[in-house]
Amino acid sequence: MRDVLKLGAFLLIVAGIAGLGLGYVNSLTAPVILAQEEENKISGFQEVYSQAEEIKDESAKYLPDGADGIVREVNVAYQKGTPAGVIYMVEPKGYGGEIQMLVAFDIATKEITAIKVLSNKETPGLGAKCGEEFFSERFQNKSAEGVLELVKQEPVGDNQVMAITAATITSKAVVEGVNTAREHFVSNFL
Amino acid sequence: MNLAKTFSKGIINENPLFRLMLGMCPALAITTSVENGIGMGMAFTAVLLASNVVVSLLRRIIPESIRIPCFIVVIASFVTITEMVMHAYAPALFESLGIFIPLIVVNCIILGRAEAFASKNGLVPSVMDALGMGLGYTLALVTVSAVREVLGAGTFLGIPIIGLIDNPALVMILPPGGFIALGCILALLNKMQQKKAQSN
Repeated sequence: MRDVLKLGAFLLIVAGIAGLGLGYVNSLTAPVILAQEEENKISGFQEVYSQAEEIKDESAKYLPDGADGIVREVNVAYQKGTPAGVIYMVEPKGYGGEIQMLVAFDIATKEITAIKVLSNKETPGLGAKCGEEFFSERFQNKSAEGVLELVKQEPVGDNQVMAITAATITSKAVVEGVNTAREHFVSNFL
Repeated sequence: MNLAKTFSKGIINENPLFRLMLGMCPALAITTSVENGIGMGMAFTAVLLASNVVVSLLRRIIPESIRIPCFIVVIASFVTITEMVMHAYAPALFESLGIFIPLIVVNCIILGRAEAFASKNGLVPSVMDALGMGLGYTLALVTVSAVREVLGAGTFLGIPIIGLIDNPALVMILPPGGFIALGCILALLNKMQQKKAQSN
């Protein structure tokens, strides 16, 4: 019995020291991690909607019951005090997990200004290409008013987007993300 | 055993991946690019070095009957520290190694070295053992990932290779490619070993 207590106490001390050490390292790295994530998001905003003077997170106003479907955030970009564009963060489900991406719309032109994939867990060499520029460029300046359609050949219609070869599920997910953001944009801002 | 031998055994004769067949799971999963291989190897070496040092220093204090839980606590703490530091200062690498950083905890080589070497040897040999094993594992990961990246993506460290970039064998960076590459490398090493044994 005494032996058990002694061993237990020893383990407790070992775990306690480890816990203290971890707490200390966490207190050093947590602010750096937070700052970095924030910075990533802001530089992403800049990339998809460059004309904004001020960007406000208005998710609470436009997403009443918290996370509504795959739309995670609604950020409104202001120019001279009036809303000029909207930047959505959506997380559609791809082949390997959620694809976190930004979709930005311009209110005046009713067009998609740009999209940007922030993170994905898609297959390297196939679906992971959705983060590359050649694919996101295919969404640029598409009208927000019609449903975007995924095609496998060179697009003929204005609302068509060509899929990534051999990564249909990923392409579908990205288009679904853009369409969901688009619906929300049309019903709330136009 | 002298120090040089303690160091070098991890690289060739007792290479964790190619000879001891330990740590296979991350080796198959993350070796899709050379950059991943180097990053994983460095994270692994850092954890192994720290855990070997602590286990070696505490080897006379830790009671025999609860040594394994103590080793695990030590290893898990260092893995978590590595994870947090990497997340803060190397976010791109952190993102691509993903779940396999926390899984270093259950990487059998680290517990294996703590049990088989650090808990029975002094500080300096344990450090040499950790460095040798870490280097051996890193080299093994880089070898496997070089084969997979060159054949599967047509690049090396992200630099395109002319002639391969246009039509790479995609299967090599998918999971089956990991098994194929590792199997072929092991077969080649065994063949070389046999030749050496025959000529002796």
